Amino acid sequence: MASVAQAAPRTARFDPAVRGLRRIAREPLVHFLIIGGLLFGGLQLVRGAQRPSVTISEQDLNQLVAYWELQSGRPPTRQELQAIVRDRVDEELLAHEAHRLGLDKDDMIIRRRLAQKMAFASEDLGAVAEPDEATLRAFYDRRRAQYPAPAHVTLRHAFFSGDRGAEAARAAAIAALARARRGEDPGGDPFLLPLTYADASLDDIERDYGAAYARAVRIAPLGTWIGPVPSAYGFHVVRVEGRQGATTARFETVRDEVRDAWLADRRAAANAAFLDSLRKRYRVVVAGQTP
Amino acid sequence: MTRSRDRARAWTVTGALVAIAAGGAAIAASDAVAPKPAAKAPAAPAAGPRTARDAAPPGRRLPGWNPERNAYFGDLHVHTKLSFDAYIFNVRATPEDAYRFAKGETIGHAAGFNIRLAGGPLDFVAVTDHSEYIGAMEEANDPSSPISKLPVVQGLFSPDPKSIQTAFNRMVEGNDAGTLPKEFSERRIVSRAWSEIQQAAAHNYAPGHFTTFVGYEYTSAPNHRNLHRNVIFRGTQLPDLPYSALQSNDPETLWRTMDGWRARGIEALAIPHNANGSDGIMFDSVRRNGAPIDRAYAELRARNEPLTEITQIKGTSETHPSLSPNDEWANFEIMERYIGFNKAVTKFHGSYVRQALLDGIELQEKKGFNPFKLGFIGSSDTHNAAPGSVEERNFFSKVGRIDATPAQRGSIPPDGARTWDGVVHDPGAQAARFQAWGASGLAGVWAEENSREAIYAALRRKETFATSGPRIRVRFFAGYDFPADLDRRTDLVTQAYAHGVPMGGDLLPAKGKAPAFLIWGVRDPNSGYLQRAQVVKGWIENGVAKERVFDVACGDRLTLDKASWRCPANGASVDLKTCEPTRFKGDVELRTVWRDPTFDPKQRAFYYVRVLENPSCRWSTWDALRNGTPPNPNLPATIMERAWSSPIWYEPRA
Repeated sequence: MASVAQAAPRTARFDPAVRGLRRIAREPLVHFLIIGGLLFGGLQLVRGAQRPSVTISEQDLNQLVAYWELQSGRPPTRQELQAIVRDRVDEELLAHEAHRLGLDKDDMIIRRRLAQKMAFASEDLGAVAEPDEATLRAFYDRRRAQYPAPAHVTLRHAFFSGDRGAEAARAAAIAALARARRGEDPGGDPFLLPLTYADASLDDIERDYGAAYARAVRIAPLGTWIGPVPSAYGFHVVRVEGRQGATTARFETVRDEVRDAWLADRRAAANAAFLDSLRKRYRVVVAGQTP
Repeated sequence: MTRSRDRARAWTVTGALVAIAAGGAAIAASDAVAPKPAAKAPAAPAAGPRTARDAAPPGRRLPGWNPERNAYFGDLHVHTKLSFDAYIFNVRATPEDAYRFAKGETIGHAAGFNIRLAGGPLDFVAVTDHSEYIGAMEEANDPSSPISKLPVVQGLFSPDPKSIQTAFNRMVEGNDAGTLPKEFSERRIVSRAWSEIQQAAAHNYAPGHFTTFVGYEYTSAPNHRNLHRNVIFRGTQLPDLPYSALQSNDPETLWRTMDGWRARGIEALAIPHNANGSDGIMFDSVRRNGAPIDRAYAELRARNEPLTEITQIKGTSETHPSLSPNDEWANFEIMERYIGFNKAVTKFHGSYVRQALLDGIELQEKKGFNPFKLGFIGSSDTHNAAPGSVEERNFFSKVGRIDATPAQRGSIPPDGARTWDGVVHDPGAQAARFQAWGASGLAGVWAEENSREAIYAALRRKETFATSGPRIRVRFFAGYDFPADLDRRTDLVTQAYAHGVPMGGDLLPAKGKAPAFLIWGVRDPNSGYLQRAQVVKGWIENGVAKERVFDVACGDRLTLDKASWRCPANGASVDLKTCEPTRFKGDVELRTVWRDPTFDPKQRAFYYVRVLENPSCRWSTWDALRNGTPPNPNLPATIMERAWSSPIWYEPRA
């Protein structure tokens, strides 16, 4: 640079055109362009000297041969090996060139795969440690509503088969109810399902008897014979001895679920935090939306 | 001065610009965002204690404990994405999802819709994925795995139903030719899938409410003749890896392996299925090596296979109309093609259970051993991870994306047509195979409580029954000293256990006495009413095996004709425009004590119960109804749902 600056005053004396050149030579923009040009030229030279390379490593070769052997049950011949390697090199060349030309841009499949890889990678980074018992109990306490235990009943009943005819079965059940309320044996038809239930889930009762029967059992006064209660099989007289309303399952019985939920919760939180950090690092522009 | 100051300023500006440009380039080039992904370590199996819910200590009774035993319904044949075929069918549901579905929750189907049981939760389930190539397809579909690069994998995981079928056939051919890569069965992959199955079973076992069993399917099919069986383990004592048909496709080697496990405290039983697709070899009279079966074979088989799956979606294997020409109800969901291979079955003897029971007592009579003393269960064989999905009205078939729509199943006319005019029926076509499939198969057991120990014990003693889908409950006892009023007593089950043997048992001779049989069926609250109860008898008369079907109880108070042993028709039918059955036909329950008019104390025999519902719409008719088109004229519009008890064997010489 110094030589340009020194040369200029010497020529200045002779000619207005030369004087003009001197002024141009002093312009910072010109310096910038020249420096830029030199840098560009230099880089091109360096690039020319360093052709991009496609390398098939020893490990890649071994893997190629192993797959080939697996398929055909013998090692490849020299020609076959050459063909395998040529195919692999072709694939690498095409992939490199596609990458250089930016063909990976705006490709949904490549974008999704990258996003997926990133998501897995971030999950791996934030490996969640096994929670201790206190953590789990606290978590369970905050979410008790999510661990319901179905209502349970203890009951006995007598059955009057619908095969008697609906009216006959109903009448028999009414007569049995009167007997039962006098403290006598209500009688009834043989029944293939149990005649007594101890601590049975109301969900199971509904599945096996139908909604009307389950509803009656859910609201029946305790220790009193009621009926006739209809079911999918006929009529019943029922005495509900005990009932435990729908409650929260005890921690001990749902510990596995609580642990799974806690881990899922932690992973979800970690993923959200990672995406938040990305949002801070990037400016997101969506057409038609003010950021 | 000014000039030099200008120059200084110009240099400053130039320098700054260069600096900014360089800095920008450096920033652009740097990997500012990505944290380096840590090397992926294989997921640690079984993190944390998983034993919180193990079975109750011995001697403690669970809620619902009943010394006279409860009926529990389940499915012991369930595939998830871990099965190579299910994965190719686009199924991605896990063993965990299968158990959630069985408990009444909603899961996703491979074709994108949601699926749920209409009839409420099941009581017990085993996930039984194919042990061959178990878990390998998922790994092959992960582009970062080495096996995803194998040529055989390319194009295997298409969502297009045609390509799926091609891919499936390619796997079957590769398996036949033995050209599938060893990597598909790498210990690491098998072991990961096996541990996922165990974890899901442990996680979902809730004694008293819901029982899970660890299991798998041994998928042997020499020349495509089906010899598949499901292996069900009693508890948590398990082999390191399943014994698969890749090791040997001779079931004898499986049984010997199971004997070996038993010696090490690993208790399991195997349940063969789809005898109908075996082309005569499931219940063959010779061993795989061609030698006639002998006592050692019979004992080995009986020790390991007390049961058979008599019905499932791919057809019912009770009997075939050509084997039982005098059984008017034999033509039920018959499937006359190979399994997973498009070829017609030609040998029915050896392919059906009733014939096997007859062959068994004949062998017992002539040679003194019986390899076919089989109790019955049904199951679904769902490949959608959907246990119990055998409801006619709520049927989405079983192979993921290739039979997900009514059009694919051939229950509605093709290409949006409104009639069947001009539609040619090709029995060899793919859709025709799906048409022949039925919404069938549940397993019933009589057990004291809903636990692994109690249900497994019921499977072992064959106190089991099968249904075609509805939760019909069936009791069956035989004895000599039942009280005269047995069928009218409220304590009849107590009496029956005290004075008789239940289904699955042996009835020994009692000098000068003829046995009585207690038959009792109760309808499923969510299904139809019962039309008739039958006893199917097989016996040996002068060295020849014979069979006969007796109606023993008729619905609608109709009088049984004891000359023909048939109930009169009860007039029940179905309005095909609405699928509404005729009202006020059929019974809630059928109960009777029956005496065999042909009983001969010297004749070896077996007896089992079949309970039939009134006719109801088949799944294909429901599909058509929803589509507003007529039912496919090549398919039965209605079926008679049914339940089968395990047999009781009369053993004249014990």
